[in-house]
Amino acid sequence: MLGPRLLRGYGFTVAGIAIGVAGLTALGGMSERIVRFIEGGDRFVLGQISVAGRGLGMGTGFTAGGLLPASAIRAIAGVPGVAGVQPQVMLPLNPTTSQFMTLTQELVLGLDLSVPIPNRHYPTLPVRTGRFLSGGDRHVAVVGAAFASSRGLDVGARLTLEGETYEIVGVLDRTLTAPDRFVIVSIADARTQWVAKDPMLRTVLASGAVPVRAEDLNTGAAVGWRTGEDPDVVARRIAERVAGVNVQIPSELSRQLRASTVFFSALLTGIAALGLVIGGLSVANTIAAAVFERIRDFGVKRALGATDAQLGREVLTESLAVTLSGGVTGIVIAIALGRGIDLWISRGQQLFLFSARLLAGALIFAGLLGAVAALYATLRVVRLSPAEAIRRGA
Amino acid sequence: MLRARGLVKTYRAPAGPRIPVLDGVDVDVKAGELVVVAGASGSGKSTLLNLLGLLEDADAGDVWFADEHVSALGRSARSGARGRFVGFVFQSFLLLPSLTALDNVVLAARYVGRSGPETRRRARELLEELGVAERHEHYPPQLSGGEQQRVAFCRAVLNDPPLLLADEPTGNLDDANAHVIAGALRRRAAAGGAVVVVTHRPEAFVPATAVFRIENGRLEGYPLKKEVAP
Repeated sequence: MLGPRLLRGYGFTVAGIAIGVAGLTALGGMSERIVRFIEGGDRFVLGQISVAGRGLGMGTGFTAGGLLPASAIRAIAGVPGVAGVQPQVMLPLNPTTSQFMTLTQELVLGLDLSVPIPNRHYPTLPVRTGRFLSGGDRHVAVVGAAFASSRGLDVGARLTLEGETYEIVGVLDRTLTAPDRFVIVSIADARTQWVAKDPMLRTVLASGAVPVRAEDLNTGAAVGWRTGEDPDVVARRIAERVAGVNVQIPSELSRQLRASTVFFSALLTGIAALGLVIGGLSVANTIAAAVFERIRDFGVKRALGATDAQLGREVLTESLAVTLSGGVTGIVIAIALGRGIDLWISRGQQLFLFSARLLAGALIFAGLLGAVAALYATLRVVRLSPAEAIRRGA
Repeated sequence: MLRARGLVKTYRAPAGPRIPVLDGVDVDVKAGELVVVAGASGSGKSTLLNLLGLLEDADAGDVWFADEHVSALGRSARSGARGRFVGFVFQSFLLLPSLTALDNVVLAARYVGRSGPETRRRARELLEELGVAERHEHYPPQLSGGEQQRVAFCRAVLNDPPLLLADEPTGNLDDANAHVIAGALRRRAAAGGAVVVVTHRPEAFVPATAVFRIENGRLEGYPLKKEVAP
């Protein structure tokens, strides 16, 4: 009898809950976004040993350091436990930006494609359209999803880097971490860009004071380890046996990364807590108010013979229907809001991540809180005599 | 059908003295009787009806439906007894605004486990008898006061309860609608139901089995019983 009309008269209640759940979901979406970024970085650094030349150097990201010459790379490859070494050049796309790794820095990554990517967690980078680079590629690039989106690039488009034109042959899937802002080229192309970007390097090379060949121009290397080896032990072994290199111990780098993101962790904890409190209070208050608002109806129903259990079941069913309707509406609002904001800020930024666990969590949280609030309010209401309930609701 | 002995009820105003409303009231109503309780506003008429219908607890005294000592029951058992024995008609109708007229009537059956197509058919019949069948899909705010009270009467009698308690059932109605409701209550008694009406307009309900007046917390005239003619 009540099925199709279960929600009649609950319009404002559903709207109130929707607002609470929308707030909770939107704040949770921002937290999820930050978590995904931190987790992605952590997963990356734990998947490889990052080595750079000793010194301040030109590199950035994981390869910040001095020049890592070919001789050092060969020496690293000879260290017991090392499975593969991939020379890399990692440069800031715009040299005027900070050398620090930030959430938004755009990087050029040059890879030596004669060597497989040694990162255990990212042996390949997922390509959304087009293809990844292959050996012998020159003047072609694969770009991250955010980079492509911010510039309206797709496969076949042209990109000018340091005066050279590159054809986009692939766009990566969105990873919500660093590669979203990468321009990946062959290491030969990256070396050319490095020289073009750095007047001091050009001066040194032109002077002939230091014998440097093209293969020596590496900002770092990604090193893989053999199965069964402890990566930290292999990293320390490299540091001991190869002179003039900075070796990042994976677990220590992970700790450093987490320490550097402790502010974000605290921030997202605060955001999540705030979301839970605001959303939770909104849902609980709205449901409890809706029950108290119907106190006269409950009095009438008890006059008609409704027992506490019948009334409790009825209120619980209604409150669950109302809460879930409000919850789903709130989630839709939050997603629309998030998408709208992401589109508005443009430049390929994504501030919100509405993961399945977040949406399910928000719905379950709202449902549970609604049920508890309804139960509390019902217990208060059934303690009143029917006559008192009717009087108070008049 | 209905027996009450020594009903006492006192209200305490906030920060004020205790106000005695009923002071040892006895009531007997048999099947087929229409008993009218009259009295001035604030005399305790509605309180008496609430106590008789177990809508609130008396400070002292006992109530029996048939031979069941219902005032001694627990809260849920009393709700069950109300559902089985009593139909209520209230002055302010008390229809649920979120339900249609038909659903309001059927609601009465829901709590006594009698919901179903047969119940809906019976509800439609009652609405037909009271002349509001064509409004069965309307919601209470879309109905006039008279129509709402007719719907409320249908709700009160849907389960065919042996006892009907009506609190100022014509208090908010014009003469024509008051006449309809009073007639329906009289017919209910004539069909074998026990009916108690509290009102400040007793003349609307005569002929009745008996008319009492509440004064100073007591039923004047009790236990005198007589047929009261217009």
